[in-house]
Amino acid sequence: MAVLECNALTKRYGKTPALEDVTFAIEPGRIVGLLGPNGSGKTTLIKLANGLLTPTAGDIRICGTAPGRATRSVVSYLPERTCIPLWMTTRQLMDFYQDFYRDFRRDAAEEMLRHLNIRENQHIKQMSKGTREKVQLIMVMSRAASLYLLDEPIGGVDPATRDYILSTIISNYNPEAAVVISTHLIADVERVLDEVIFINQGRLVLQASVDEIREEKGMSVDELFREVFKC
Amino acid sequence: MLRKLLKHEFRATGRIMLPLYLVLLATSVGANLSTRGLLETDNRLLDILGGLLIIAFVVAIIGVCIMSLVVMVQRFYKNLLQDEGYIMMTLPCSIHQQVWSKLIVSAVWFALSFAMVCLACVLMAFDVSAIQEILDLCQELLHALTGKYSFNAVAFGVELLVLCFVGCCVLCLEFYAALAIGHSRPSHKMAWSVLFFFVLQFAMQMISSALIIGLDESAFYYFLMDLTDVHLSGTAAIHASLWFLSACAAIYGAVFYFLTTYFLKRHLNLE
Repeated sequence: MAVLECNALTKRYGKTPALEDVTFAIEPGRIVGLLGPNGSGKTTLIKLANGLLTPTAGDIRICGTAPGRATRSVVSYLPERTCIPLWMTTRQLMDFYQDFYRDFRRDAAEEMLRHLNIRENQHIKQMSKGTREKVQLIMVMSRAASLYLLDEPIGGVDPATRDYILSTIISNYNPEAAVVISTHLIADVERVLDEVIFINQGRLVLQASVDEIREEKGMSVDELFREVFKC
Repeated sequence: MLRKLLKHEFRATGRIMLPLYLVLLATSVGANLSTRGLLETDNRLLDILGGLLIIAFVVAIIGVCIMSLVVMVQRFYKNLLQDEGYIMMTLPCSIHQQVWSKLIVSAVWFALSFAMVCLACVLMAFDVSAIQEILDLCQELLHALTGKYSFNAVAFGVELLVLCFVGCCVLCLEFYAALAIGHSRPSHKMAWSVLFFFVLQFAMQMISSALIIGLDESAFYYFLMDLTDVHLSGTAAIHASLWFLSACAAIYGAVFYFLTTYFLKRHLNLE
C-alpha cells in the first residue's frame, strides 16, 4: 500500500490555486524529493498531508487513511521554520516527544544530541538558529514513523550543516518508511534521493526515479530541474 | 492525550504563574509588617519603606490578576496559532482536546489566582486590629441579613463564585473564538482577531438585550412573576437569578467553543 497517495488533489486559497489536480503515490522505502521553485505548492502539499489544511477537491491519504488524528501518529513532520518551544530544555523537549509519540526513540535522540555536544539541560532559546534546527531535526528523525515529511530541511543553513542534516536523515530514518524532502536546493539533496516529484505552479510536472532520469535523459536531477523550470 | 496535554500546559504556564504567586505572598508579608508598625514609626525612612511595601502588595495583586488573563490569551495564540502551532496541531490528539487543555489550565490558574489573592489578603491582615474590626463588622452585617431576610450568605457566596468562574471560562472562550476566527484570515490576523472580539462582544450584548426586551411582558415573564409570587421569596429569586445567569453564560461559552473548534478544524491558516 502507498504510504502517501494523492488523487486529483486541489487546494485553492480563495480563487488563487495552490494545487491543481495533483495525482501521485509514494511507496514505502523510498526517499522522494518534492522539487519545485518557490511558490510551486510544495509546502501546501505537505500541510495537506499533515491535516493542517483541508483540500478544496480530491483527496490525500496516508497509509490509506485521510489525514487526521490517526495519521499524525505515523507521520513525522519537520516544518519549514523552527517551531520547537524556546522555553524548553532539550530534556523537556524529549519528554514532550516521548509523551505524545510511542515511536519516539529517546536513546537515538540522546545519542545524536551527545554527538553535537548539546547538553540536556540547555534551553532551546540559548541555542543558535542552526543548532535549534538541528535539535528539531533530531526530534523528527528520532521517531520510527511510516512517513517523514521534511519541508525545506536544508534551506537557510550553511553547507556543513546541510551535510550534517542529510547524513542525519539517511542514517536515522526507518527503512520501511518513505521520506519526502521538499526543497529547491536540488544539487545538495540529489545524492540521497531515490525518486523525484517535480511540481510547478501547483501542477505535477514529473514523477520519476533518479536512475530513470540519469539513464533515459542522460542528465542529473539538477540539470533536468534547470531545464524544466527554465525562466 | 488530554492528560498529557494538561501536563505540558501546566509545565509551560506554571513557570510564569508560580513565581508570581511567591512574589504575591512575599509582598503580603511585607504589607503585614508595614500595617502592623512600619507606618506608625517616627522614622521617616521606615514610613517610606512601609508605604512602598503596601504599593508593592497592591501591584502584585494587580499583576497576578492581569498575568492570569495574559497567560490565557498568550498560550492559545502562541502555542496553537503561531510557529508552535506546527508542532501542536500535528500531535496525535483532537482539536477538542487542544482547546479543553487550554481552557482547563486557564480556569485552574484563574481559580488559583483568586485563592492566592485571598490568602495574600489574609496574610496581610493577620493580627492587624483595624482589619480585624472591619471583618467583625462584616460578620455582624451577615448575621443581621441572615436573621432578618433569611439570606443565606454562604449559598450566595458560592453562587457568585460559580458565576464568576463560569464568566471567566466564557471570557477565555470568547478570546479563543476571536483569535481562531481572526487567524483564519490571510493577512492582518491580529487586527482581525481584535475586530472579531468586539464583534462577538457586540453580538452577545445585542442578543442579551433583545432577549430581555423580547421577554418583557411575555408569557415567560408572567410565568416568572407567578413563580415569584407563589413559591419564591425575594432572596430565593436572587439565588435563582444567579444560577440562571450562570446557565446563560454557559450557553454563550458553548457557542464560542463551537466557533473556536470549527475555525481551528476547518480554516486553520498557519503562516
